[in-house]
Amino acid sequence: MNLVAIETATSACAVAVRTRGGDEFIRVFDEERRHNEVLSEAIAQLLDEAAIGVREVDRVIVDRGPGLYTGLRVGLATAIALAQGIGADLVAVTSLETLAWGAFSAGVRGRLVACVDARRGEIFTQLFELGDGAEQNSAPRVARARNVVIEWATNGAPVTFSGDGVERYLSDFAAVPNGVIHHQAVPSIRAALSMGARRVVEGAVVPLYLREADAVANFTTRERPQ
Amino acid sequence: MTLVLGIETSCDETAAALVDDRYHVHASVVESSIDAHRAFGGVVPELAGRAHVTTIGPVVKRALQEAGLDALSPQIDAIAVTSGPGLIGSLLVGLSAAKAFSLAWGVPFVGVNHLEGHLFAPLLEQPDLEWPLMTLLVSGGHSLIILQSGPGEHQVLGETIDDAAGEAYDKVARWLGLGYPGGPEIDRLAQVGDASRLELPVSMVGAGFDLSFSGLKTAVVRATQKHNDVAIEDVAASFQAALSEQLLRKLRSALERYEVRGVALAGGVAANSALRAKLSDLASEFALTCHLPSLEMCTDNAAMIAAAGLHRFARGESSPYSLGADPNWQLDGAR
Ligand SMILES: [Zn+2]
Repeated sequence: MNLVAIETATSACAVAVRTRGGDEFIRVFDEERRHNEVLSEAIAQLLDEAAIGVREVDRVIVDRGPGLYTGLRVGLATAIALAQGIGADLVAVTSLETLAWGAFSAGVRGRLVACVDARRGEIFTQLFELGDGAEQNSAPRVARARNVVIEWATNGAPVTFSGDGVERYLSDFAAVPNGVIHHQAVPSIRAALSMGARRVVEGAVVPLYLREADAVANFTTRERPQ
Repeated sequence: MTLVLGIETSCDETAAALVDDRYHVHASVVESSIDAHRAFGGVVPELAGRAHVTTIGPVVKRALQEAGLDALSPQIDAIAVTSGPGLIGSLLVGLSAAKAFSLAWGVPFVGVNHLEGHLFAPLLEQPDLEWPLMTLLVSGGHSLIILQSGPGEHQVLGETIDDAAGEAYDKVARWLGLGYPGGPEIDRLAQVGDASRLELPVSMVGAGFDLSFSGLKTAVVRATQKHNDVAIEDVAASFQAALSEQLLRKLRSALERYEVRGVALAGGVAANSALRAKLSDLASEFALTCHLPSLEMCTDNAAMIAAAGLHRFARGESSPYSLGADPNWQLDGAR
């Protein structure tokens, strides 16, 4: 299969193309929140480099979160339109499992806590057991970063932390006695390719928000467009 | 024939349409998330953004289908998409989708100003209309008086210095305990109310063509506090009369100053019956053609965006993939 993978769950973003022959072409953008400006251009360039036409893409893989809402919507809208426009499969992976598989591929084993920055002192987080693969040991949830740190500091069991949620609260996570940090700011686009290639197509793909719309709680009419 | 796909997601409507270079609309699909916002008395940006993501694919698919085009290789020449002004999280959904469709089908895309889209609405209903036009663009987000010398050629003569006209309707409706959006509710009540019951000021904001509605809203609040026995129908009628009177007075002085062939109404508030009646009277007084949009053309739609895009496309314009969304894009501003 010719694959395109799109990763926009954090303030950075990434795109990858994998050809039927297994060649991989990857672009990672570290600049803050420029997903909309770089995404389609990068896909076009990578397809060029891989020497495959856009209509030869069999499957589009997209990270559906949890993560930054705006970034996710840019990634999802791009993936949905691209797949629909060429009649390709569309499959989703989550940011947290992508982090887990990224750590697994880098040789990390044992307990892994994936953490994506959710802003305002919170993180999206999920526990994995890395053995023969990355097995989910909890449901994804949103939590205070500090509470996750305290939970693992008192738990005492060896654990690895990974994700931009860890980088954001680095000194807190570094203080966990049995903790190790696997640095990985952006969920691994290579892991997204591998996971997405194996996944079964399941109909409409929607973002995984894990939080009510903030605006529902503190709405003001001043937010109307000008 | 040139055929353009229009995409619009600047506020709470997800829309797609196909329009050709003779301004013939082949399909126009609009899905609104307004029901999700009703309880909050206004559009909640995050809810609008969430709705666009799930709706954009199906809406484009339906538009292509209704126009009899192949979903995988539609015979279109370009894509036009609203890239501002509007809610940033909503604009980005349409813009991202437009870029990806452009990549998928190998056709160019062009970013269009939402307000300019509204200005093309009269052309869609009367392609052979005569220029220049004096246009009153009034909606929940905008209130402008615009001199249009031709398609895509316009000059903003005046605009609101505070609330938009539709916003004033929503605020007064909320004060009266009516639902959202306020326009249709107040309009309905005003039909049976006495417009002379409350004395409300007609704000003129100096000699220019600028508009102002926040004082009127405050006056409604004060007057109803003072005379709490006034029927809600009379309040609605008095408010509606004062608001349309301000618009009409400003429009009248614009018509006295500039020579035009017709007057046009655009935007959501163009559905208002009092405003339509008054504009039509004003047009006959000045012996001008009056362009009152159908209800589908008052609300946000993608046919008007496609029409504005056709014009840009004909001038040889197209946008790069790096085009950003501009939530505050002014009508007169250069990109
Ligand atoms: Zn509008």
